[in-house]
Amino acid sequence: MRSVIVTGGSRGLGLSIGTRLAAGGLRVIAIARRETPEFSTAAAAVREAGRGALHFRAFDLGETRGIAALVSSLHKEFRPLYGLVNNAGIGTSGVLAIMPDEQIERLIGINVTAPLVLSKYVVRHMMSEHAGRVVNISSIVASTGYHGLSAYSATKAALIGFTRSLAREVGPLGITVNAVAPGFADTEMTAELGEGERDKIMRRSALRRLVGPEDVAGAVEFLLSDQAKNITGTTLTVDAGNTA
Amino acid sequence: MSIRATITTQFEQVAVEQERTLASLADDLKLIDCGLDSLSFAIIVARLEDALGVDPFSSDQAVDFPVTFGDFVRLYERFAK
Ligand SMILES: NC(=O)c1ccc[n+]([C@@H]2O[C@H](COP(=O)([O-])OP(=O)(O)OC[C@H]3O[C@@H](n4cnc5c(N)ncnc54)[C@H](OP(=O)(O)O)[C@@H]3O)[C@@H](O)[C@H]2O)c1
Repeated sequence: MRSVIVTGGSRGLGLSIGTRLAAGGLRVIAIARRETPEFSTAAAAVREAGRGALHFRAFDLGETRGIAALVSSLHKEFRPLYGLVNNAGIGTSGVLAIMPDEQIERLIGINVTAPLVLSKYVVRHMMSEHAGRVVNISSIVASTGYHGLSAYSATKAALIGFTRSLAREVGPLGITVNAVAPGFADTEMTAELGEGERDKIMRRSALRRLVGPEDVAGAVEFLLSDQAKNITGTTLTVDAGNTA
Repeated sequence: MSIRATITTQFEQVAVEQERTLASLADDLKLIDCGLDSLSFAIIVARLEDALGVDPFSSDQAVDFPVTFGDFVRLYERFAK
């Protein structure tokens, strides 16, 4: 069975992605600091269905120094590592002029350094298999502005640049690297958004609605599928037409 | 298989896969001149981790990439202990 690592797979978009991939017959290893009740329920349902698998490994992606050992143990247990979905992220918002420096560093650590270092070690194994798929979860704020999200936006834009150049580097070995840029979807990350703000986002979207986690999961599933074998270095926007 | 033999085999195999001409692997051969590119080295390091169970380049001690083939072999011999 092909194995796919989904970071931040315990809830929100990551849980939706992991559940969808497992239902499609893949062996998913979700990584987050804590397992959630929603995750345990989803994993039980996957076992029940008897197709694919949904595992959990607790790890704090802020511990960059531990990532090499994590990948090494995942490789031993779940080889071959076919896919990596860099989804874990934090959405710290705030006006830059009064944002504590530590918060800026933490944003970059979790949203940029961690996916880069994780990709480094996972891609190595993909290289020796001559096959693999990397999907980075960016955001529409990588390319459009949003008040209070300047530091966060910088981290999401970083992933787009990373996606393009890594795609060139590993393309000759049959590995693809793409990004998905979701619009605002209802998860814990966006829970503090007020009703008025959600309405505004909906009204600004061509389809007059918000994106659901299942829409993002569908896009990731497609990029991991054989149908996407000739797609690399691109960003797939899933935003109900918010930036159209 | 000895560590040296394992390394030699990987160099030869990756050179074939990547369609590169490999120089004869003497200890004083500079890795820059051995005919492999950086991508090939990345594959070799990943395969050696599987074969020998060590990766000197992801350890906590900072390790510079070796200059000669002999340095490369000795580095793995040191870490594999
Ligand atoms: N929701 C949106 O509207 C939206 C829009 C565009 C892009 N995105 C992007 O989509 C991704 C997922 O967002 P979401 O809305 O699903 O967020 P979420 O509901 O807050 O979930 C975040 C996930 O990341 C994990 N995580 C956070 N810090 C971690 C750490 N230090 N180590 C390991 N795991 C960690 C969390 O688990 P633990 O807390 O247990 O560690 C959780 O599984 C993010 O990259 C986000 O930037 C979201």
